[in-house]
Amino acid sequence: MKRAVFYLMIASIVLWSAGPLLWQFATSLKPDAELTRLPPILPLAPTFDHYRALFTDTPLLRIIANSAIVSSCSTAMSLVIGALAAFGLADLNVSAKKLVLIFVLSASMFPPIAIVSPLYLIIRGLGLRDTWWALIVTYTSFSLPLSVWIMTNFFRQIPEELYLAARVDGCSPFQAFIRIMLPLAAPGVVTTAVLVFIFSWNEFLFALTFTATAKSRTIPVAIALFPGLHEVPWGDIAAASIVVTIPLIILVFAFQRLIIEGLTAGAVKG
Amino acid sequence: MMERENGNRFVMPAVVLLSLVTIYPILSVLYLSLQRRLPIFDVSKFTGLDNYRFLLTDDRFWNALRNTVYFAATSVTLELLFGLVIALLLNRSFRLKGVVTALVLIPWAVPTVVSARMWEWMYNTDFGILNYLLGMKINWLGSPFWALNAAVFMDVWKTMPFVVILLLAGLKMIPRQIYQAARIDGAGAWSIFMKITLPLLMPVILVVLIFRTLDALRIFDAVYVLTGGGPANTTETLSIYAYKVLFQTLQFGYGSTLSVVVFLCTGSLSVLYMRLLRAEGSR
Amino acid sequence: MRSDKIEKSRTVLGKTIAVLALLTMILAFLCGLGCTSDREQHGASGTTIVFKHGKIAGNPKPFRDLLDRFERENPGITVKDETLPASTDEQHQFYAINLDSKSNDFDVLSLDVIWVPEFARAGWLRDVTRVLAEGEQNAFFPGPVQAVTQDGRLFAVPWYIDAGLLYYRTDLLKKYNRSAPKTWQELVKTAQEITEKEPNLYGFIWQGKQYEGLVCNVLEFIWSDGGGVLENSRPVIDSPPNIEALQFMRDLIVKWHITPSLVLTAIEEPTRHIFGSGRALFMRNWPYAWSVFRSEDSAVRGKVGVAELPSFPGHVSAPALGGWQLGVNRFSLHPEEAEKLIRFLTSLSVQKTLALTVGYKPTRKALYKDPDLLREQPFVGSLYSIFMRARPRPVTPYYMMITQVLQPEFSAAVAGIKTPEAALGSAQRQVEQILGEKL
Repeated sequence: MKRAVFYLMIASIVLWSAGPLLWQFATSLKPDAELTRLPPILPLAPTFDHYRALFTDTPLLRIIANSAIVSSCSTAMSLVIGALAAFGLADLNVSAKKLVLIFVLSASMFPPIAIVSPLYLIIRGLGLRDTWWALIVTYTSFSLPLSVWIMTNFFRQIPEELYLAARVDGCSPFQAFIRIMLPLAAPGVVTTAVLVFIFSWNEFLFALTFTATAKSRTIPVAIALFPGLHEVPWGDIAAASIVVTIPLIILVFAFQRLIIEGLTAGAVKG
Repeated sequence: MMERENGNRFVMPAVVLLSLVTIYPILSVLYLSLQRRLPIFDVSKFTGLDNYRFLLTDDRFWNALRNTVYFAATSVTLELLFGLVIALLLNRSFRLKGVVTALVLIPWAVPTVVSARMWEWMYNTDFGILNYLLGMKINWLGSPFWALNAAVFMDVWKTMPFVVILLLAGLKMIPRQIYQAARIDGAGAWSIFMKITLPLLMPVILVVLIFRTLDALRIFDAVYVLTGGGPANTTETLSIYAYKVLFQTLQFGYGSTLSVVVFLCTGSLSVLYMRLLRAEGSR
Repeated sequence: MRSDKIEKSRTVLGKTIAVLALLTMILAFLCGLGCTSDREQHGASGTTIVFKHGKIAGNPKPFRDLLDRFERENPGITVKDETLPASTDEQHQFYAINLDSKSNDFDVLSLDVIWVPEFARAGWLRDVTRVLAEGEQNAFFPGPVQAVTQDGRLFAVPWYIDAGLLYYRTDLLKKYNRSAPKTWQELVKTAQEITEKEPNLYGFIWQGKQYEGLVCNVLEFIWSDGGGVLENSRPVIDSPPNIEALQFMRDLIVKWHITPSLVLTAIEEPTRHIFGSGRALFMRNWPYAWSVFRSEDSAVRGKVGVAELPSFPGHVSAPALGGWQLGVNRFSLHPEEAEKLIRFLTSLSVQKTLALTVGYKPTRKALYKDPDLLREQPFVGSLYSIFMRARPRPVTPYYMMITQVLQPEFSAAVAGIKTPEAALGSAQRQVEQILGEKL
């Protein structure tokens, strides 16, 4: 009985989360004429026209590549810089620890719309307009608050004895960091990676302002370019949302196994 | 007892990068907030705290503040509660757990430009699926009462996975042995939750609270696409108001003042959380 | 046990590193893709000008063909075409950020009709009076010319035009022996009669969400009642005709029930969908909807008519003016070339091509008697008189501030949150404050 209730709850959670996307999927298969007819929920004459339009009307492959490159680089840099900082803040002596933490957090305290204009001036001044680097540097910086705070948190939860034991064994702090802290904080590290990647993948305001052509344009800006002045191609947008979300889900699926496997070592399963 | 090493060099890259990228914009906003800056009329004048004084008498600001606080409070509370429940459920082992966890992350993975339009479509009075399923004709986005709550609901859907994934990772850090020991001692599920799980999760909950609150207080895109701040500014948040002042009316001074106010809200709340939950302390 | 844990996590970490390494390799490969420059080589010498504009409707190819034609006719000039999202807010934001910092990243820009006074006053637009020949301004519709003129000088050239129209169901009007209404009261009466007998039909739908489109809708009622916003640069918002017109709009929803309350969340497309699926008798919308209704799979194909908007008795119809204009960035390094492009794009033959391929309604009056155009799109002929009447919203650099006051107040009135008197009174006070501010 208890298991039935449990599975029912799991099912409703999945429905709640994935339902709207399923609805988008159904929409993406409907021809234009059917888009606003309700009922039926499912398309009467399913068509792949919208998906076809996606790849012919826009340089979507290039744009997905842009997003992939920008997001991966930002995530990698954010993880490295963030993990180092987190390690220092969690386990070592750092001057003005609280101040540093608040300073790092302050990048997330302003509304982005206020920051975009002066930041754009910097980007233009450096000649980085319409390049990957403009976005990579921006995303790395603005994801550092999350990165640093999450990983500091997880590093702190690792018992001090482990770190001290490694030091006694002759490891330098950096070696202890790589060999002991990082593996043990894997759930936090992987979670951070996922969150930063998704943030970079979906970020819109900076991408809109800093990019100008398909050279560096990312997915959210490409999607914003679908609607005409009045016309909103719902079918195309639905198709695009499926195309850009599925890779993320697969990526997350691949990575979250790493989270689940976390620290169940030595314990009895189930 | 070993002396702790100095970790400044580990923290240096982060501090340097952030300084380079954010110091100029932040100072720029602060400075602009003290100016009267109307590029259209070629006005650029230092006016000190005048903008702030005007702000105190600006009804539209207070309206936006009220909306923002309501939105943030409701949204974060709901996300935290539901997120916790879901994370606890996902913490058990069961079939297809990996798939379920990945599916639960979908709302967070959908780009905001898409999800806001999607919800706008679902909330449509005439051919939205919500009214279809409920069999009613509620004017979700056009009624002063429903509109802000509709925005909250959409935000909860979108950002709950963020809470779930963090809490799940936090739960994973709790050693199984502690649970086993407690069960051997005869503790019940509720008692285990209140005395073991929750306290050990507090540090992660703090991070979740801080970041969710920061984001909720700054919310812009999703609500702007959904309602444009309407009807009659009943869903206008501080960021939407700041956006309109900055980029529609091109009042760069006052728009920056509004942004600084958002900063003061988020900043003070962060400090407050840190004090209250006392999870920030040196080892 | 501890070391077990560490071992296990090392494996986890090992896997993570493996995946990251794989990603890096993919990255490196993709980098190869990205390193190719996409700067086309159009001859070593010569200037490149950048045309920055919102997304062009439909297939982008016809427009690129036009630009290629310009390049052929003007050897030495290359036109780089950069698109912005169609959202007017995003375009305005982009231009504001760039022009305020005196950027010369683009040379020609496309402007919404309400931005020109503001940008001109800011000194962001080049004076382009000389782009048009002596007297050539009269070849254009008066509304757009008024909107782009400041102190007798032209700061943009009208490119294509838009105005509010009344769409109606010809089959239903015929069935009940009615004609397209000339007054608002007539519209209400006809709508009431027909919706009583026809099931599942809304009487009259329009755009009532809190946004710029709402201001257009409301002004069309206000102006057609003899009211207005500014008179001799002074606000006359709190006036009897305005109150009457706004109350009338509210009554459409709550008193005569011919307008559903869903219009309060509607912008152009949702109303177009409703009318296009046959569920409305009358609709106010822009000309773009017409071609959608004529498409093969439209449920109302052949059943749609278009007329000028009604007015209140004793006054004339007052469609709101929309449309886009072409301007030259004052900080452009190639102003002459930019002016050439504008002259080209607003010329008779190019406007005709755009009308035929993309459906942009020309701003040059002569084209409305052009036999080719009328043959392909007979509907265009009937738009002439409507476009002649199209009224621009207040042509003042203060307009963007004024509309930010009007939008929430109008929204409050049509949504019934405030009475029209209260809303207009509040709007009056706020606009007085804006205009009275000492700069």
